[in-house]
Amino acid sequence: MTTNDAPLYEVRNISKSYGSVVALDGVSLSVRAGEVIGLVGDNGAGKSTLVKALSGAHQPDTGEILLDGEARRWKSPHNALEAGIETLYQDSSLAPDLSVSSNVFLGREIPSRGILGKLGFLAQKQMDNEAHADLERVGIAVPASNRPVSQLSGGQRQAVAIGRAVSWARKVIILDEPTNHLGARQAKEVLEVIRAAKAKGLGVIFISHTLPHILEVTDRIVVLRLGKVVCDAPTSDFNVDTLLGTITGLITTAPAE
Amino acid sequence: MAILGIATTELTQTVAPVPPRNRRIKDLLLNQQTILFLVLVAMVVVFTVLDPIFFSVGVFGNILLDWGPIILIAIAETFVVISGGIDLSVGANLGFSGVIAAYAMKSLIAAGIDDATTIFLGLLVAAATGMFVGYVNALLINRAKLVPFIATLATLGAAGGMSIVLTGGAPIGEGPESAIALSVPWLGPLSWPGIVVVVIVIIAGLYLHKSRFGRYTYAIGSNSFAALAAGINVKLHLTRIYLLSGLLSGLAGMFLYIRLGSGAPTSGTGNELVAIAAVVIGGVALAGGVGRMSGVVIGSLILAVVPSGLIIIGIEPNWKQVVIAFLIAAAVSLQALRTSSTRRSK
Repeated sequence: MTTNDAPLYEVRNISKSYGSVVALDGVSLSVRAGEVIGLVGDNGAGKSTLVKALSGAHQPDTGEILLDGEARRWKSPHNALEAGIETLYQDSSLAPDLSVSSNVFLGREIPSRGILGKLGFLAQKQMDNEAHADLERVGIAVPASNRPVSQLSGGQRQAVAIGRAVSWARKVIILDEPTNHLGARQAKEVLEVIRAAKAKGLGVIFISHTLPHILEVTDRIVVLRLGKVVCDAPTSDFNVDTLLGTITGLITTAPAE
Repeated sequence: MAILGIATTELTQTVAPVPPRNRRIKDLLLNQQTILFLVLVAMVVVFTVLDPIFFSVGVFGNILLDWGPIILIAIAETFVVISGGIDLSVGANLGFSGVIAAYAMKSLIAAGIDDATTIFLGLLVAAATGMFVGYVNALLINRAKLVPFIATLATLGAAGGMSIVLTGGAPIGEGPESAIALSVPWLGPLSWPGIVVVVIVIIAGLYLHKSRFGRYTYAIGSNSFAALAAGINVKLHLTRIYLLSGLLSGLAGMFLYIRLGSGAPTSGTGNELVAIAAVVIGGVALAGGVGRMSGVVIGSLILAVVPSGLIIIGIEPNWKQVVIAFLIAAAVSLQALRTSSTRRSK
């Protein structure tokens, strides 16, 4: 649970506009290894755009992205994944028609051995078994890893998506609303997964509308409002009321600038 | 200990790991491949009982020859539709590739090149022409941001129109005279083009279901953002799919050249709709992400059997359109029923 002082993953002063709409306006944010930061804000505050910039799905118009202190540029999610940054997107991380194991291994398929592998064929059995083992290691039991995701319940799908992200992450894990679709007890279990990721030394960026979850598991909270960081402070500085006030703009003390 | 007991707890409550017996039987009966296969067998049996000549090597050889080009573009359409797109240009591309290859072969023969070399080079020209049209489709979709329906409607018009402009509407012959002889069956019902089609069906099926190429095709059709987020180069993969579709359309053009002995500009007109019908009857969802090659092959064969069958049972062959329309409606309805019975939510 030790936190190293140097930021593991950092964005400096990034901006992104869609036409005349400014989604992100000079946002800076960092996470250390073994640290959990909470990213909160009202709808339209720019959280999803920021997540997409952090995961490489979108390129910011201006600003810097640094991993381990080195300036990086993600041309696509592929680059960020290769650098060890995993992202759970809200509601859309899985391909419903593919099986559980095909989803876990999507983009990282294991080729067959020998000439068949060179021709592009896949070791499906091996992936089924390893996906099962990977999910169990994270604490997820799924019925059969060759079952299509569309046949799972919302909670099970979310479990597969989280398991996939956690089992592949090497440096940073970004979780956008991971407790959606989940009951109270299941949400608690997701928070346990976040604590386990922190203990492993990953940097965790946790986005949620459920403020008690944010307060329970994070070390630091970053509040976005209308595309700007309005507050970046230790979690111990907040309670539900002050956090809500900061998100809505009723409380304007302790600004980040 | 289960850190994330989500699935474990829900499992016991909501989804039984082994479906009950009657559910499994229902699944099997609602399995589109099973039903299609039974329909095909039933058609063949009925037609054969009414006229024993139907179930003969010669008839199957002819069906394979007549339907070879359709099966090739149906395979192309299978990959495209599973990826969530559609390729309306396959029929026009078939005709266009056949015409361009016909011009090339006419020149080669006039220059005194032997038949075998000419046919081989003609095959390459047809393949390259088909892939060129496929590449234009990919550019229109990836760069010009057209939806596949509009992009391929544009190339349908362009390729179809250019075939007519170039030829003045007349077939282009004077090519290798021995080409048409290749259509003669020599291995049971199989001729050389027939063998090529069977081999392509098998390879395409293996690649669709067992390879990374197929996996990405399903992933993009199922949820293209998830595919992108998983690090898949979606645009590059779509380019490959439309190139493949073009390649198969070009091969279909050459196939038809061998069958007819000339490149006819309008020979592929309307074939895209037959291919799409085969794909849909075969159980491929137009929304993408769902379908199997075996279903498409059976779907193509059902479409092939219908016209000959109607003649045998003494119904005017023009009814075939009506029968095919009924089959499409039935197949799509079946798929919707199956989807609502197995999918909990999407």
